[in-house]
Amino acid sequence: MERLKLYLSLFFVMFCAISFAQRTEYNIAPGYNQLNFKAPDPGSYTLEKYNLAPDGNIVDSDGKQKSLHDLFDNKVVLLNFMYSTCTDVNGCPLATAVFHKVRNLLNKDPNLGKQVSLISMSFDPENDSPEVMKLYGYGTNSGVVDWNFLTTTSPAELNPILDGYGQRILKEYDEEGNYIGSISHILRVFLIDKNKTVRNIYSVSYLHSDVLINDIKTLVDPRTKNGTIESSSISEDIVVASGASLAKPGDYKEGYLSKDYTTNAEPLERIGKATDLYAIATGKQLGLPKLKFPEGTFLTKEKIALGRKMFYDRRLSHTDTISCAICHVPEMGFAHNELRTAVGTEGRSVPRNAPTVLNVGYLTRFFHDARESSLEDQAWGPILNHNEMAIPSPGYLINKIKAIPDYNNLFEKAYGSKPNMDNISRAFAAYQYSLLSANSAFDRWYYGKEKYAISSDAKKGFEIFTGKGACVSCHLINEEYALFTDEKLHNTGIGYEASMYVEPPVKKVILAPGLEIDVDTSSYADDSRFKDEISPNDLGLYTITQDPNDRWKFRTPPLRNVSITAPYMHNGALSTLREVVEFYNKGGVKNEVLSPMIFPLNLTEQEVGYLVEFLKTLTGSNIDELILDARDVPIGEISLNDPNWFHENKPRY
Amino acid sequence: MKIRRLMSTVYGMLMSSFLALVLVPSHVFSDETCMSPYMAKIVGQEDYVYVWTLGQVGVGDEQDKLVTIAVNPASPHYGNVIGHTSVGGRNEAHHSGFTDDRHYLWAATLDTSKIFIFDVHTNPSKPKLHKVITDFVKASGGIVGPHTTYALPGRMMISGLSNNQDFGGRTALVEYTNDGTYVATHDMPVDGNLRGAVKTGQLADGYGYDVRALPRRNVMITSSFTGWNNYMMNLGKLMGDSEAMKRFGNTVVVWDLHSRKPKKIFDVPGAPLEIRCAWGSQNNYCFTTTALTSQIWLIYEKDNEWHAESVGTIGDPAKIPLPVDISITADDKHLWVNTWNDGMTRVFDISDPHNAKEVYTERIGDQINMLSQSWDGKRVYFTSSLLANWDKADGPDKMPQYFKAYDYAGGKLSKKFEIDFLKEKLGLPHQMRFGAYSLYAKTPSNKNLAELSQ
Repeated sequence: MERLKLYLSLFFVMFCAISFAQRTEYNIAPGYNQLNFKAPDPGSYTLEKYNLAPDGNIVDSDGKQKSLHDLFDNKVVLLNFMYSTCTDVNGCPLATAVFHKVRNLLNKDPNLGKQVSLISMSFDPENDSPEVMKLYGYGTNSGVVDWNFLTTTSPAELNPILDGYGQRILKEYDEEGNYIGSISHILRVFLIDKNKTVRNIYSVSYLHSDVLINDIKTLVDPRTKNGTIESSSISEDIVVASGASLAKPGDYKEGYLSKDYTTNAEPLERIGKATDLYAIATGKQLGLPKLKFPEGTFLTKEKIALGRKMFYDRRLSHTDTISCAICHVPEMGFAHNELRTAVGTEGRSVPRNAPTVLNVGYLTRFFHDARESSLEDQAWGPILNHNEMAIPSPGYLINKIKAIPDYNNLFEKAYGSKPNMDNISRAFAAYQYSLLSANSAFDRWYYGKEKYAISSDAKKGFEIFTGKGACVSCHLINEEYALFTDEKLHNTGIGYEASMYVEPPVKKVILAPGLEIDVDTSSYADDSRFKDEISPNDLGLYTITQDPNDRWKFRTPPLRNVSITAPYMHNGALSTLREVVEFYNKGGVKNEVLSPMIFPLNLTEQEVGYLVEFLKTLTGSNIDELILDARDVPIGEISLNDPNWFHENKPRY
Repeated sequence: MKIRRLMSTVYGMLMSSFLALVLVPSHVFSDETCMSPYMAKIVGQEDYVYVWTLGQVGVGDEQDKLVTIAVNPASPHYGNVIGHTSVGGRNEAHHSGFTDDRHYLWAATLDTSKIFIFDVHTNPSKPKLHKVITDFVKASGGIVGPHTTYALPGRMMISGLSNNQDFGGRTALVEYTNDGTYVATHDMPVDGNLRGAVKTGQLADGYGYDVRALPRRNVMITSSFTGWNNYMMNLGKLMGDSEAMKRFGNTVVVWDLHSRKPKKIFDVPGAPLEIRCAWGSQNNYCFTTTALTSQIWLIYEKDNEWHAESVGTIGDPAKIPLPVDISITADDKHLWVNTWNDGMTRVFDISDPHNAKEVYTERIGDQINMLSQSWDGKRVYFTSSLLANWDKADGPDKMPQYFKAYDYAGGKLSKKFEIDFLKEKLGLPHQMRFGAYSLYAKTPSNKNLAELSQ
């Protein structure tokens, strides 16, 4: 009689729910109907691995105490949480109805069915005794599929299980605070694989027998490895060809202003291959002299490796965001093709273009205004600059490196001492000493005497470079090698123009492929917070010497690899090599302190073209090798063990 | 035997009744109109608006914070900031989203890529910092700038904006469990690896911005903005940099939700940002607007195929009004569009989704950005900040940073109150999310509060 009462009450509850639904056009979950789309084919996709399905103490419908995992029984499990008096048609009754459908489908496929177990577990142990659960599950155990109806002995046993599965329940109360018998909850059904790992979670809007069956099939499909499609294995053997085919932004935008523009974007996958950087730093390349290290510098493989790690480590900035390589991007000629002037910590504006670090080991003057005179000393500039990496003080960085677990002992091994101001800058320099690149087509033609290494147009360009164009008077070439710079500072007028010309408020602005319009940008440019940072004013060497004759003087950049380091000039104002040659052809921009070495060249259009062709022959033969080596370096990112206030592990203060 | 027969009758009736029912709109699965359809709902008046706020040098404690505003007229604190939680650093606080059970608010940041997870259920009036995901970039394999935190059952789908190799726009979707464990990275399709997707036009840039799902059609949709370099830099500098201006997203991707595979890539030029999907069960479409080209785009399904079509123009595109946040009404009849550059909010009639017509405009204030409306559409809230380095600071008066609350009735907005975020020393207010006691069967004075806490 008691049983009959229970059945009648269950029937009444469900019938009322349905009547209510029909009357009010209550929204019926898709699980009750035909699937509204074609479920993806079994075995054609990966089911991601979520957490390990939590265990707990339960009671089965025979009143036996067990662990939840006992019932998983090395099968694929569908698990839902419910309570027997649930009235929400889109709640427990939905899961029960869908489980029925799944069971029926599985019973027709016994081979699959016997690998699956269904579990309905009550979250109302006070009312759902084992007997009630047995009644609830009456008639469900026909066929090969197990369907277990479980409960717990108490809320104390239940709550850890609910917490583990993230199944929230809320008992509902009336205004006087009396429990009204219903429990609000979000319906969740869990798909658990044979290794007890949760592989999918379904809610009301996505619970459907077709989807469940296909997911179960995917887990047991021999084409997948336990529901995971492994990505095609990548060949370990990367053949490094000579050249610079990798030297372009992965997000290539050439032709963007044409309506016919098509993307040619590359995947983010970072597959690299380490190279012998020590051999490069200490070796000899055609067109370059053997590198002379400053006094006290003894390069080792360990030092290069440490500097290489640091160069790509974003944690060496104040906010863990900017590494050296963020502005000196390997694929962009170790410079930056996508920005005229660099962007630093918190998006602060850097007023100058990021120059390449290729072949910087030969230089004796650093930065566009030549304010530093060694590669080692130079390193601290960007690190401490508020607009770049924004490290608050040298001591801060030293302590931070000491606190990063994966630097443990690296300085001691490479330099025989803990991190300090000296060895940090030496390590940065060590890696940069190895970024040497020559043996270019020009070198093979000019120094290697390979007659056909460059085109006849490039040869004509070389004649102009050394003759009518007078480029060589600053971009030096000598008999054994060529650095293409005199390392002196000159006023070409480009800085003068940026400082003294009134900027027209209306500018051409690119909005989309093939779409450039005139925009009055004055309303965007008057931002006082950035006035000093984004002002076009840049007085160059004068800012260091205070000598008015030094106004707008900037260091002659070396020209090796110039075709892969656009845009050009200290402020990135010129986008292409042709624009640069045309700038010099018109004699720069006149001003009272213009360098006497800058004058109109009277080159024809054709001669401009020849000169550009010549400049393109200066790309080193090992650029791809250096890029692949760079890609081999793991980018330093904050992990759970790194200094961070939230990890309660911050640099000592 | 009798009992068994009775039971089979019960089941028989159940099944036949269920099958007889027609699938009707799934309104009950959500509240505010831009939330995940998986989300728990606020059935009536929201109690709080949580504003994810950017720290600003020179303003208060200068760091990002979650600001709680009382918005229930029944509250004694109505119209006031009742608290805020500072999180450390200026991380470029941007968007936030609840887990599907609405117990936690995931507040993401575009600069440091940290995700701050707040407990909003224990006491809805006092969100508490529960956990910080600091290793998002490392865990995801180099994805930078977590943007949308979108609830799937038991999981969060997070759209990235950038990557740690070049700070450009190529990026991915990243999936986490609700407890903050990394699960998977789903790369956006690019020419070099379309991942099975069809490039329907000329573009497959791999950029990301928003993510939304239409579970009933097994579809997920993503849009595309720009990478770290651009969204972090000063806007004036950006507009003057023709190289940087080439680095905006021009694509919308339709995905298979279940298998997480991209299906179709559409050319939608000019940085399509927010995506809002229709709620009606037969309305298989979503809207997006392009920030730079000022178009409303419809991404829709017809004859089992997905298409993209420009269906309306927002203001005068030549003046770059810069449409930012949008919001669809629960009845799918109207689309709110804020335009940052002219301070306007605009309502478009989208009864015919293929022909969006502007029917109402109201000037809210300079640099209007986000809006949130209640499910019944009677209350609309606005905030001002777009991105820390894009916001304007000058002008005849110092540019305002505000939260404004309006009632919307009879096709007209009427202002209820506003809060000056600079005067209150809070910072730059960005995205808003609603909180309510009703979600957790709680009231401020409920004597069972303690028992009900999880």
